[in-house]
Amino acid sequence: MHKRKVLKFSLLAGILCSSMTTLALADEVSTAKVQKLIDAADAARKQAAEVGGEWRDTGKMIKKAKGLLKKGDFVAAAKLANKAAKQGHLGYEQAMSQKELKLPSYLHYE
Amino acid sequence: MKQLFRKLTLLVMTCGFIASAQATTPEEDLAAFQNFFKKRFPNVETQDYINGAYSIDPVGRENWEAIEEFPPYEPFIDEGQAMWETPFANGKTYKDCFPDGPALAGKYPHWDKDKGMVMTLPLALNNCRKANGEKPMKYKKGPINSILSYLSYESRGQVTNVVVPSDDPKALQAYEDGKKFYYTRRGQLNFSCAHCHLQNAGMILRTEILSPALGHTTHFPVYRSKWGTVGTLHRRFTGCNKQVRAKPFKAHGEEYRNLEYFLTYMSNGLPLNGPGARK
Repeated sequence: MHKRKVLKFSLLAGILCSSMTTLALADEVSTAKVQKLIDAADAARKQAAEVGGEWRDTGKMIKKAKGLLKKGDFVAAAKLANKAAKQGHLGYEQAMSQKELKLPSYLHYE
Repeated sequence: MKQLFRKLTLLVMTCGFIASAQATTPEEDLAAFQNFFKKRFPNVETQDYINGAYSIDPVGRENWEAIEEFPPYEPFIDEGQAMWETPFANGKTYKDCFPDGPALAGKYPHWDKDKGMVMTLPLALNNCRKANGEKPMKYKKGPINSILSYLSYESRGQVTNVVVPSDDPKALQAYEDGKKFYYTRRGQLNFSCAHCHLQNAGMILRTEILSPALGHTTHFPVYRSKWGTVGTLHRRFTGCNKQVRAKPFKAHGEEYRNLEYFLTYMSNGLPLNGPGARK
């Protein structure tokens, strides 16, 4: 009877230990993954900023994503980082499309 | 269907702007800019554009005229006068930097050939402070607004006369950069300055009438009820850029200095009437 109890306890402890290790590993993997997304978003923001095309909220989103990552909210952090990256890319594309001066057609030059 | 919608959106967005392969001179820009408003608001006298949105909004004008009976910027003028007259720690005053006196707003912005840049009044004030061992003032909020209020008040009636010297190609480049800034779409909303204050001047955005660009620079610094204080032109530039969800540039950095140069040039011929009061 005592032997069975010990076996049960060991089994339970084993499962608990392995799941904790798996969770910790999963955390590490997620942290690294989301950090990569945040880095990519920051690179996109910087690329836009270099051509004067950074949007107002991109930097704030990245900052918020970093905070969420610290708290362990990987899903929300990744979502925000992706959104910021998209803003960075769009800001850059916008600035590139505006490289040449375009005077409005309603201004009449005589 | 989705593609067709995209193409149509693009076409609508592009409509109203043409690619300018042809270079235009500042004089031609000025004529086109001011003529646009003459045609847009034929009943408004050119000189009245110094009153901003109130030149085209009779109801707002009545309220504003009532406010002007007890101008909210008056205490700032008094504070500014005290600042002008109070000696720095080294015993010198602003007068030593600006010997012609406080009525000097009409000289700014101007092209500083030696420095190779557009010199704005706030920048010149801070240069004076630095030369006298004083800490420079912040460019958007705080004491700079008091001294600017005083200097603008003393300069009332001077006529805007920005010059783009023809003997320095750098000056023309600064002007062109300012012009390019003005017509460039930016921010998440994809608007240029011109979209609101040229193309759509007089239209209502939420509850506000979009003010005409002509005369925009004559009445700064401005007491805005929204701010509850007086603010600088570059603070307003910052606010406009934020409103279209673009990251604003540094106040009195190159981008906004050149923008001020172009925008003030567009108001050449209009009298200065700062400080002003706005909603």
